Amino acid sequence: MTSPAGADTEVVLPPRPQPRRGVSLRDAGPPIALAVIFLLFALISPGFRTIGNVQNIMDAAAVLAVVTCGITFVLMMGSIDLSAPGVMGAAAIAVSLLVANNRNGNDWGLLGVLVAVLLAAALGCLSGLALVLLKVPSFMTTLGVSAVGLGVATLLFGGVQPNISDEMLRGWAIERFLGLAYLTWIAFGCVLIGWLIQCYSRLGRYAFAIGGAEEVLALSGVKVAPYKVAVFTLAGAFYGLAGVMVTSQLSAGLVQAGKGYDFAAITAAVVGGTLLTGGRGGILHSAVGVLLVTVLTNGLVQVGVSPYWQGGVQGLIVVAAVAAAVIPQRRRNQVTK
Amino acid sequence: MSTPVLATPDVGPTGDTAPVKGGPTLGQRLTSFMPVIALVVLLAALTIADPDFLTQRSLTAAVRTSAPLAVLAAGATLVVLCGGIDLSIAALCSLTTVLFAMWLPDLGGLTTLAAIGVAAAIGAVQGLAHVVLRIPSFIVTLGGMSIFSAVALVISDAGPIRIVDRDATKWLTLYVGGVVPMSFFVAVLVVAAISLVLKLTPLESFVRATGYSESAARLAGTPVDLVKVAAFTVSGACAGLAAIMLVSRNFSGSPTMADNLLLPAVAAIVVGGTAITGGHGSLWRSLVGALVITLLRVGLPIVGVPSAYEQILYGAIIVAAVALTLDRSKVLIIK
Repeated sequence: MTSPAGADTEVVLPPRPQPRRGVSLRDAGPPIALAVIFLLFALISPGFRTIGNVQNIMDAAAVLAVVTCGITFVLMMGSIDLSAPGVMGAAAIAVSLLVANNRNGNDWGLLGVLVAVLLAAALGCLSGLALVLLKVPSFMTTLGVSAVGLGVATLLFGGVQPNISDEMLRGWAIERFLGLAYLTWIAFGCVLIGWLIQCYSRLGRYAFAIGGAEEVLALSGVKVAPYKVAVFTLAGAFYGLAGVMVTSQLSAGLVQAGKGYDFAAITAAVVGGTLLTGGRGGILHSAVGVLLVTVLTNGLVQVGVSPYWQGGVQGLIVVAAVAAAVIPQRRRNQVTK
Repeated sequence: MSTPVLATPDVGPTGDTAPVKGGPTLGQRLTSFMPVIALVVLLAALTIADPDFLTQRSLTAAVRTSAPLAVLAAGATLVVLCGGIDLSIAALCSLTTVLFAMWLPDLGGLTTLAAIGVAAAIGAVQGLAHVVLRIPSFIVTLGGMSIFSAVALVISDAGPIRIVDRDATKWLTLYVGGVVPMSFFVAVLVVAAISLVLKLTPLESFVRATGYSESAARLAGTPVDLVKVAAFTVSGACAGLAAIMLVSRNFSGSPTMADNLLLPAVAAIVVGGTAITGGHGSLWRSLVGALVITLLRVGLPIVGVPSAYEQILYGAIIVAAVALTLDRSKVLIIK
């Protein structure tokens, strides 16, 4: 034979086996990382490996889990959402003024919570509409809507902090069921609802499809725009509920209730394996990401690292996680904006 | 007709006489002068609302307030021109105020240069991370934002650091010709210097090509990666300079001092008419944008609007301005 050996082997080389979705490293990686980090901290710190601390971690993860549920749908579409601080702030102030409080005579109870969540959903709808109708990129619309939400919250705040006296809402953070606060069970419920929406509703399936290949979906005759608005509305509703939960924890409505949650939620979702380019990941991935971020935060504090580093650690993780996620497409993605 | 059918000019059925040439229509011309028009209208409205506003005293004060914002926006404009976004400017600025306040007792007169240098280096690191790791710029800078905030909080122990030696920043509180505040003069100087460098070197074409179409620029041999890193470096340096202006005004460094400048800075850039999609815009536009935003900020209480509306206004302005200036031909799918 005259052909060189190199070319020969290249022909013989079998096609690279595609990992099956269920067992790929991208899906298995985050849970493994979670287990490793958990064991690591358990080995180092005696304070970490107590039942009480595990309860703490679950309770501390509750709000972030709900925010992340919302943001995951947006990320699945390939969009981004920075509106959590504003939406949560508006919902927090709204709910604290609607349930029994020290500012006015309202005592709407659960109805107040519902109204606050609806207000938040309306703000989310606003970002979706601006994205679809004005064709403004989502990180700009949501940055704008965040500012609008903070403004609304500041207006409602009116200079006097509303402290809530509603027993039901305060009880959510204090009373426990099976060792976990009610808020934690609400977060579990949100993850479950999010997972059901993601798997069994048209909204969830289309959110995936929009992230994977929006052109194809649009060319197949699907009207994409209403689903985009719906996803942002759903995300807003989740942020609203998270804002209510923060209010329950603090027993007071704060404009800054959602400060930092946008970034923490993006970190959690990305670490869990949701790609920023869309079409990958999901609620369960994000739930693992939330636990990962919370365990890391809790563990670092237990080991003795200043809590001020928290944001910095999240920043490092998110950059590292995104960098790791784009390595497979390095050759193809010459253009990054 | 020599033009191919595919190249539908973005003119519209307004009866323009020479659509083939593709020159700007009246509407586009108006949009491009929008920031200046907005500035004049705002000034007029404020003067009507309060005749005392159009005095040298209050104008000087307004211009002085706008200086840090103008510098921040000018630096970030370069990144936007390249098609990216820098969300870390405000946090980097806060970090630099802390560094400046901490180093001043040891370094004395060199502190200004050292602080700006470190800020520029941090900007360069972000640029490198964006270019080498191929991470979208808003994620790099969002990550940077939280990292810088964390570092600033840790090294300052989460509190303001007072500056005892006020001579180091005294030059920024002087007035040029007795009228123009030195800080604003410096801001204009910075914008002029960067613009001039861009104009006189091939850099302007490089930056615009990168912003308009990165892959085309790459194929044409533009050093896209270098241009981007340079843009981030300048953005960092500008954040450092803005930090020194803030310190000269507040006589202290604090880990959250500039955090509320991010939204106004982004607003200034887009109000100036720089397209968020990259390529189109200039630093001068951002300077005008910064003045518009400052006038809004100063003007709202004069008209009698509670300052809580300020945030809502920023949000609305950002979305509206981006919608007006966006280059629709380039992005078919808006994420």
